Amino acid sequence: MNVIFQSTYYTLYQAANERCFYVDFGQKTVRMSLCQLLALRHKVMSINIEDHFDSDLNAHGFEVLMLCNKEHLFVLNTLEILDLKTLVSNSFVSLGLSVGALETITS
Amino acid sequence: MKDIARQSMSIKVESMDLLNGQIKMEAHASATYLAMASWCEQNGFFTSAKFFFKQAEEEREHMMKIFNFLVDTGANPISPEVTGINHDYSSIVDVFESTLEHEVKVTKSIHNIVKKARELGDFATERFLDWFVMEQIEEENTVRDILDMIEVTGTEGVGLQMIDNQVANWIE
Ligand SMILES: [Fe+2]
Ligand SMILES: [Fe+2]
Repeated sequence: MNVIFQSTYYTLYQAANERCFYVDFGQKTVRMSLCQLLALRHKVMSINIEDHFDSDLNAHGFEVLMLCNKEHLFVLNTLEILDLKTLVSNSFVSLGLSVGALETITS
Repeated sequence: MKDIARQSMSIKVESMDLLNGQIKMEAHASATYLAMASWCEQNGFFTSAKFFFKQAEEEREHMMKIFNFLVDTGANPISPEVTGINHDYSSIVDVFESTLEHEVKVTKSIHNIVKKARELGDFATERFLDWFVMEQIEEENTVRDILDMIEVTGTEGVGLQMIDNQVANWIE
């Protein structure tokens, strides 16, 4: 397995022989296809981090993230979400599917 | 190292995001035209209602075209959330003026994606959008012609009903 990108808390690996990816979340490692990685990206990039600083919008500063068709469930705090955003955006650059400069996801 | 990512997906994620945004915009256009059809029905403009029912269908086809392109390229198409549809119009002229405004907005959005795709070197997305660039010329032109017809006919007396009848010329 090759490391594609490593952030503070998480690591993305490519397993070429299995034609898939692995994300090490610390507590557990999750196997993902590129489609699932795209779905993860969509979920993570859709999180509005500003809500974490508004007690009306997000009282406790946690996000519940369900991955791979509800197979995995994570409860992540603000720092972890920020780190996951870093992992996701940099990983797609490393994978050659993103230039990184144009940040376009807003909703 | 085998390039599994590139083998699975043939456009850039930035293009994908913009195209998902466009899917939303086409869905919004479809819903807006449906609201306009409803307004026309309720206010006695039955031919115009037909026109907008047809427009609503066309916008949905545009949306599906983009959706299927994302499927074909191995990307992640997102089913759009559509909110904030306006149902209030002050007159039939207002309806068609809003239509032109909406179409111009869509044209600008498509041109923006073409521009970004070009910057990204994403030839597939750029070429895919050729059809939309030409389609928008047609769409804008249709509504402009209707507005010209409204101008010539005038809204006094039987003008409004004449306007509605003439909209039939733009329903293929
Ligand atoms: Fe359209
Ligand atoms: Fe249109």
